[in-house]
Amino acid sequence: MSKKNIIVVGGGLSGLMATIKICEAGGEVKLFSYCPVKRSHSLCAQGGINACMNTKGQNDTTWEHFDDTVYGGDFLADQTAVKGMCETAPKLIKMFDRMGVPFTRTAEGVLDLRNFGGQKNKRTVFAGSTTGQQLLYALDEQVRKWEVKGLVKKYEFWEFTNIIKNDKGVCRGIVAQNMNSMEIEAFRADAVILATGGPGVIFGRCTASTICNGSAVSAVYQQGAEIGNSEFIQIHPTAIPGSDKNRLMSEACRGEGGRVWTYRDGKPWYFLETMYPAYGNLVPRDIAARAIYDVCVNQGLGINGENRVYLDLSHIPAEYLERKLGGILEMYSEFVGDDPRKVPMQIYPSVHYSMGGIWVDTKHNTNIPALLASGECDYQYHGANRLGANSLLSAAYSGTISGPEAIRWSESDEIGEELTDAQVAAAKQAAVDEFEKIIDMNGTENAHELHHELGDLMNKSCTIVRVNKELDECMKGLHEILERWNNIGVSDKSHWANQEAMFVRQLRNMIIYAMVICKAARMRDESRGAHFKPEFPDRNDEKFLKTTIATYNPTSNEPEISYRDFDHSLIKPRPRRYDVAKGGK
Amino acid sequence: MFNVTFYIRRLHSICGIVPMGLFLLEHILTNAEAIGGPAAFNEAIGRIALIPHDIMLVIEIFGLAIPFLFHMLYGLYITLQAKNNPAQYGYVRNWQFALQRWTAIFLFVFLIIHVVDLRIFTKGGGTPISYELLDQMFNNAGWFIFYLVGMIAAIFHFCNGVTTLCMTWGIAKGPRIQTFISRVMMLVCLLLSLVTIAFMISYKMH
Amino acid sequence: MADQKTVHFIIERQDTPDSKPYTEEFLVPYRPALNVVAALMEIQKKPVTKDGKKTTPVVWECNCLEKVCGACMMVINGKARQACATLVDQISQPIRLAPARTFPVIRDLQIDRSVMFESLKRIQGWVEVDGSWEVNTAPIQDPNVAATAYEISHCMTCGCCLEACPNVGPQSDFIGPAPTVQSYLFNLNPLGKFDKEKRLNALMEKGGITSCGNSQNCVEVCPKDIKLTTYLAQLNRDVNKQALKNIFNK
Repeated sequence: MSKKNIIVVGGGLSGLMATIKICEAGGEVKLFSYCPVKRSHSLCAQGGINACMNTKGQNDTTWEHFDDTVYGGDFLADQTAVKGMCETAPKLIKMFDRMGVPFTRTAEGVLDLRNFGGQKNKRTVFAGSTTGQQLLYALDEQVRKWEVKGLVKKYEFWEFTNIIKNDKGVCRGIVAQNMNSMEIEAFRADAVILATGGPGVIFGRCTASTICNGSAVSAVYQQGAEIGNSEFIQIHPTAIPGSDKNRLMSEACRGEGGRVWTYRDGKPWYFLETMYPAYGNLVPRDIAARAIYDVCVNQGLGINGENRVYLDLSHIPAEYLERKLGGILEMYSEFVGDDPRKVPMQIYPSVHYSMGGIWVDTKHNTNIPALLASGECDYQYHGANRLGANSLLSAAYSGTISGPEAIRWSESDEIGEELTDAQVAAAKQAAVDEFEKIIDMNGTENAHELHHELGDLMNKSCTIVRVNKELDECMKGLHEILERWNNIGVSDKSHWANQEAMFVRQLRNMIIYAMVICKAARMRDESRGAHFKPEFPDRNDEKFLKTTIATYNPTSNEPEISYRDFDHSLIKPRPRRYDVAKGGK
Repeated sequence: MFNVTFYIRRLHSICGIVPMGLFLLEHILTNAEAIGGPAAFNEAIGRIALIPHDIMLVIEIFGLAIPFLFHMLYGLYITLQAKNNPAQYGYVRNWQFALQRWTAIFLFVFLIIHVVDLRIFTKGGGTPISYELLDQMFNNAGWFIFYLVGMIAAIFHFCNGVTTLCMTWGIAKGPRIQTFISRVMMLVCLLLSLVTIAFMISYKMH
Repeated sequence: MADQKTVHFIIERQDTPDSKPYTEEFLVPYRPALNVVAALMEIQKKPVTKDGKKTTPVVWECNCLEKVCGACMMVINGKARQACATLVDQISQPIRLAPARTFPVIRDLQIDRSVMFESLKRIQGWVEVDGSWEVNTAPIQDPNVAATAYEISHCMTCGCCLEACPNVGPQSDFIGPAPTVQSYLFNLNPLGKFDKEKRLNALMEKGGITSCGNSQNCVEVCPKDIKLTTYLAQLNRDVNKQALKNIFNK
C-alpha cells in the first residue's frame, strides 16, 4: 500500500487547494513555503473570482464564460482546459462559501456579482476588495485542520532549491533550505507539485509581492522542465506607481463604475469610452494598458506631462464605495495621501501577472514525470491575456486537478524506485556546495543593485510595447548582468537567516528566467493579447497559433524556442475586437 | 477540562465587588462620620459593635478575610502576567490598566499592614478602635499619607474594577457604552476620593 | 550629494536568537512617499552605517508591501506597526526600528510568530466542512452578519495586537486578541457555529479569553481597524452563557 507521499511547494491558493485534495484522498503532504502560507501572494488579489452564478437575470452561461476567456486570451489558451475550468467555477464558489469565505452579499443574502473587464455579464463573485485574502484564508484554515489531523506537515520558511530525479528521470524529491538555520535538506516524495506563483519581481517594481521571483520555476526549467508562453506578461492598466512597488488598484474600480480619463484640450477625455464604445472602461487589461501607454507616451497627454492618468470614482456615492471597494481605497489614501472618494486617483500600468509558465498538460503534468505545476507558475488557461478575476479561479481550479493527479502518480508503477541514499546525498551536497560558493563571493557588485538594473532593463524592453531591436539589446544586457552576477560580493557571511545569500541564489534564477521571457518575445513576430509588436501589429494565426516552448540550453544559458500545437478545436479563432460587441461565435 | 481558570477568574472578578467593594464603601461611609467630630464617629463605630462578637467573627473570616486573601493573592498572580507599557502605548485605558496593577501591588502591602496593625494587634489586643486612636495615628505625617494614598488607591482600584467588570462580563460591548461607564466610574472615583480627603483632613481640623 | 536630504534610522539589531542586541544607525536618501520597508531596501543596496562602517544588510520579513500580508510588523518609534504602510513623512526622526519582542527574535527585525498559528489550531479556526467536493448549495447568510465576518476576516495575523497587549508575552500564556477574536468569526458562520461550544470551551481554558485584562491596546493598534474589544466583550458574554450551560445543562 502506497503512503501517497506528496510534496507541495508553495502555499498560495493553488498549493493549498492541491494539499486539501491530496489529504481528502488519504495522501500525506509535506507543504513547503517561503513564508507562512497565510502570507502568500494570492492574498493580494482584490477584485474577485469569476464564476457563472447567473443570479443577475442575464442568462449567463458557462459557455459564455468559456468564450470570454478564450476570446480575451486571444485564442492562445488550451480550450479543453479552459472549458473544464469555467464549468467547475460555480461549484468552487459554493465550496468556498461553505468554507466560510465572507463574500459580499445582496440584501437577500445571496452572493453578489460585479462586472469585470472583457465580460459583458456580471460574473465576478467578490469579498469586498480583498477577495484573494479571503479565499486564501479559507483554504489556509482547511489546511490547518488537516495539519491537526496529521496529514500535512508544513515546512514554512523553507526555500525550494531543486528537484531530484531517480534513474528513470522521474521527479521523486526536492532539495530545500531552512531560511533560518540555513540547513539544506533533501526530501523524498512520490510526486511533487510546484505551486510557486509568478515571476513579477524579475521586473523589479511590479504589483507582485517581494516573494514572487519565479526562482523555483527557473530552477526546474534549468533541470529540464519546459516553459510555455513566457512572453505573455500581463500589464495591469491601473496601478499606483511607487519606488518600492507598484500597488494594484483593482479592476473592480472600473467594474463598479470607475472611469479612466485625462485632460485633452483642457477638458476631461474619457479615452477608453471613446476608443472602445462597446466595452468602454471594461476592456481587457492588455487593451486598457496599451491605450493608457499610447495616451501618455505617444500623445504626451499624461497628467502634468507625467506617465499618469486618472481613475475616477469620485462620482460614485461614498457609502457604496465603502461597501464594495473599502480596503483598496483605504490603501490608496494610506500610500498616496488623497481620498479616492473625493478626488480621482492617479494610476499607470504595471507588470502584474504572467500568463506563461511551466508547460503542463490538461492534468497539470509537466514534461518531467511526477512533477506537476499549478497556479500562476504554470502556463495554462489564460492564453495571451488573462481576464480579470480569472486568476483566483485558475489558481484554485488547477489545485483541484494537480492534487488528484499527484495522487494518481503516487499509486502508479510509472514512478519507479524511490531515491537511493546516494542520490539524496548527492543532491543535497550539490545544493550545499552552491550555497557555500555564494557565501564566499567577494566581488564588487551588490546583488540588490544588480536586481534593480535587471528590473529596469526588463521594464524597458519586455512590457507593453516590444521592438525586436530592443529585445536583442535586452538579451545582450541580460548576458552582461549574468556575467556581472559572478562578481557579486556577499557582505553577510553568516550561516543564520542569511537573506542576502539566498537572494543572490534567487537572482541568478531570475536572470535566467528573464532570458526566457525576452527570447520568447523576440521570436514571436506578431501581436497577440499582451504581446504587442508595432512592427507586426496583427495576429498571425497561420504561424503563431501555437504554444511557445522554451527549453534550457546550459551552454548558452539561453532558451531554445520551439512551437507546439494546442487544442483550439471548440471555438474557432476570430478577430478580437472590443470596440464592437463580441462578433460571430 | 473543567475550565478551572475561567471560574477562578470570574470569582476573582466578583470578589472585587462583593464583598470587597461593598466593604470599601462601608469604610468610606463610616469614616466620613469623622467629619462630624469625635462623637459622631464613635457612635458610628458603636453601631457596628452591636453585632454580636461570634457572628462578627464568622463574617470577618468567611465574608472578609478569605475573599480578601483570595482576591489579593490571585490578583498578585494576574499582576505578574502583565508587562505594563503605558509609556509606549499611552492610551487612557492602558494607563488605567497599568494603574490597576500598580495600585494592586501597593494595596497588597497596605491592606496587610492595615489589618495586622489595627484589626489584629490593636483591636485583637483589646484596644477598641476610636476617633482618638485614629487621630493620634494620623498625627504622624507618614501614617497620614500612607492611609490617604491607600484609600485613594483602593477607590481607584474599585472604580476601575467596575469598568473592567462590565467588559469582562460582556455587559458593555461597544466602545461608546464602555467609555461612558469608564467616565462615570472615574467620576465616582473622584467623588469618593474627595469624601476621603475631606474626612482625613477633618482629623487635622478638629 | 552633500545636501541631499536623508532619513535617519536607528535600528536595533541582533545576530542570533541568543545573542545580545545592539544598535546601528543608517542614513537613507529621502524621497517623497518613502516608507520604512523601502528604506530597508535601500540599506540592502548599500549596507553602510551612518559612520561609514560596512555592515550586513538588515534582516526583516516582508511580502506584499500593501498592508495585507501582515509580514512586516515591527516596532517603529515605540509602537507596533506594519513597516510597509509607515511613511517616513508621518513619523518623527530619528526613526527607531526594533523587533517585536513579544515574540522570539530570529534575527534583527525578524521574529517568530508561529505561536499565533498554533493558537488558531487551539480555537479550531476553521469551518468543519465535509470536504471540498460538491455538496448542495451553501446556506444563505444575513448580509449584515456577513459584513461583520468580513471585517474580522481581515485579520492578517501580523501580531500588532499581541505586541501591544501587556498581557501577551513570555511572562504569560495568553493567546492574545487576534486568535481569540478569530473564534468569533467562525462562531458567526452558519456552518461554523455548529462547533461554537467547542470553541467557547477552548477559550475558557488557561491562556484563553480570561487572560484579557482590558487594556484595549489591541483595538488602538490594529492596522485593519478590527473592533477587537467589541468582539472580545461579545465573546465574554458568550463564554459566560456557555459556563451556565456547562453547569446547568449537564
